[in-house]
Amino acid sequence: MSVYDKIFPPTKMELSNGKTVFKPASRLPLVALIVLLFTALSVKITGFDLGVLKERGHQFFVILGMMIPPAFSYSSQVWEPLFDTLKMSLLGTVVGAVTVIPFAMAASTNVIRNPILVGVVRLFLSIVRTLPTLVTALIATYVFGLGTLAGTTAIGVFTFAYMGKILYEEIETVDMGAFEAMEAIGATKVRAFVSAIIPQVLPSYISNGLFCFEGNVRYAAILGYVGAGGLGLILNEKLGWREYPSVGMILIMLFVTVFLIETVSRYCRKKLV
Amino acid sequence: MNKQIEKAYADRPKNTVYQITVSVIVLACILWSGSAVEISKGGFSGLQIAGNILNGILHPEPKLLFNLTIQGVPYLLLETVCIAFLGTLVGSVLAIPLSFLSASNLMPGPIAFIGRLIIMAIRTIPAFVYGLMFIRVSGPGAFTGLLTMSVCSIGMVSKMYIEAIEDLDTRILESLDACGCNTLQKIRYGILPQLIPNFASTVIYRFDINLRDATVLGLVGAGGIGAPLIFAMNAYRWNEAGSILVGLVILVLLVEYISTKIRVKLARG
Amino acid sequence: MIEFNHVSKKYPNGFEALKDINLTIEQGEFVAIIGLSGAGKSTLLRTINRMHDITEGSLTVDGTDVMQLRGGQLRKFRRKIGMIFQSFNLVTRTRVINNVLMSKVPDLSFPRALFGAYPKEDKLEALEALDKVGILDKAFVRADQLSGGQQQRVALARTLAQNPQIILADEPVASLDPVTAKQVMGDFHRINKDMNITILLNIHHVDLALQYASRVVGIRSGEIVYDGPTTEVTEEILNEIYEGKQKEVEG
Repeated sequence: MSVYDKIFPPTKMELSNGKTVFKPASRLPLVALIVLLFTALSVKITGFDLGVLKERGHQFFVILGMMIPPAFSYSSQVWEPLFDTLKMSLLGTVVGAVTVIPFAMAASTNVIRNPILVGVVRLFLSIVRTLPTLVTALIATYVFGLGTLAGTTAIGVFTFAYMGKILYEEIETVDMGAFEAMEAIGATKVRAFVSAIIPQVLPSYISNGLFCFEGNVRYAAILGYVGAGGLGLILNEKLGWREYPSVGMILIMLFVTVFLIETVSRYCRKKLV
Repeated sequence: MNKQIEKAYADRPKNTVYQITVSVIVLACILWSGSAVEISKGGFSGLQIAGNILNGILHPEPKLLFNLTIQGVPYLLLETVCIAFLGTLVGSVLAIPLSFLSASNLMPGPIAFIGRLIIMAIRTIPAFVYGLMFIRVSGPGAFTGLLTMSVCSIGMVSKMYIEAIEDLDTRILESLDACGCNTLQKIRYGILPQLIPNFASTVIYRFDINLRDATVLGLVGAGGIGAPLIFAMNAYRWNEAGSILVGLVILVLLVEYISTKIRVKLARG
Repeated sequence: MIEFNHVSKKYPNGFEALKDINLTIEQGEFVAIIGLSGAGKSTLLRTINRMHDITEGSLTVDGTDVMQLRGGQLRKFRRKIGMIFQSFNLVTRTRVINNVLMSKVPDLSFPRALFGAYPKEDKLEALEALDKVGILDKAFVRADQLSGGQQQRVALARTLAQNPQIILADEPVASLDPVTAKQVMGDFHRINKDMNITILLNIHHVDLALQYASRVVGIRSGEIVYDGPTTEVTEEILNEIYEGKQKEVEG
């Protein structure tokens, strides 16, 4: 703030009764300038061209059009990969969300007092979070071979990273009063943690886990593209063979599944919070 | 013992049955999902491969990392940032009308519901399907990546926009009414100042995610750092993949740090 | 001058909020309206700038028949009347000064209103209004960083910047702690004395009303049951206004 104020000094305003106030310079022009310059640069580098969009934009809908009507007869072959996708996301979410608990505790400043340990664990969580899921999936296919285990691993790693940050932030904002009260009536630290901290964190932990699961079902559908099992596998295959009506059918079944899961999960999350 | 206390004890909420049912369902689901684990390879060779990969990634190729030509990591990262930036921008603009249509406090129930269904449908189609669709429009390259990314952003961005719209504090409108503002002025001074910080925060957050997900675009040859990364991995050139990953991780961490700072500022002033 | 002439107000659901109200308020008076929740205090206040319509009788403010006003005329009429709410109604995510300047918006030209480019005089006037309520130093701070009392003062400054002849305040201190409530009431008192602005306010705290207002109007079930100087309010009168529930209210 102060650096900015030095470069762009505040303007002085004088009131009729002789008092003066300083109006700090607005940051808006600078922000607007930066955004504008970056947009210009991006347009140049990416070759953004509205003309192309106007001229050939309708091509986008060609494939979409070919998916309609979807091949309903194909649906019988979709169930298994669909269930695989669901299994992958569920197991991956559970495994990731459970294994991250000790790490999240170690990354919370109110549980661990050692700032170095907290810093190291947080850096580790950050790096895992930046690893693209696709890369983890690809590596997992090399290690575990093609199939659902690779997908489960990738989703587990993603959930681990996602839940880690949320969980330690949650633990840090917990009301420590209850913890102190438990210690005051003679409970050990562990007992106090179990009965004072966990009940506060649990509802949002489960809620976030469900939310993550919703997203993972969608993501699991992509992972098959690199051979990590599930819907993506047949999606990739059908796209490759240009069997668009079958692609349409897969997408519709995925949509309905996602819709159901989201409805149920939203209901559960409402009850939790 | 007191009668009232006995009665209160007898009337205590009993939900053991409910709790057991929920636990059984959850456990059954998890067990069922366990059947997904089928090990086709693995054991020793898997570990060895994992070791090799890790070794490669931990020894990135410096030549690629500091190569300033168009094939070098720095340029690829810049291209990725540009794709993510413009893609986010386009997507967040497209999301505005969609989210106003789907806000249940502004629109009648059925319209809002249809709006939400459309948003969900847009979200459900996987990124690489969009990529293939857009390649027909603009051919392989960064522009296709940008278009794909913008469509992929719409879903989450409009979902968060809707939340901001539904959280609007409408009492301020009463005040503006009382001091004689017309409808347009009420929108400009009562609604926009509340929405803009929220929307900006959402857009920055999505930019973060888009940068992370940019690798997905590589699958369909839609520009950015994804394609070289996946080529390198498919060809088992782990040192090369390592240098790209190092660049990406540093970039994403940096952007995340800055964007969190900005978002906190937006939220708390 | 505000004149109620046999004013009644019936809500569409049949509830009669005001029954045959006759009331005359001269320029520069400080009137406290007291009564139980639901007695019609808010409705009475809101009919004056026509946030609510009346269904019978006539209501004139400085010779203008309020019910005759339409669209632009009504908005112009409202410029003369400031209004303060229990919930402050600020845009908390913008700076204090921008909140105050909002009262200048209706007078801006369209392009200026679009970009929020206020003329310098407006800005100075807004700052002076903030000075009058004693929070000039907070002018360039975001409104959500202020305490409740300070936020209510921003709302008051917003109203002052409008240069009103009348200020209507709907439970202005109901969400403030006792000390801040007194300060804000003191602000009202000062503004009333220094600038000769008519002030009408609804208030739950009888003691505050008696301490600061010069005239008290007591309402019970939509009817005026007392109207007179503060000094003549007795325990019996309060009991009548509060249907004998006065003790509970204070206790």
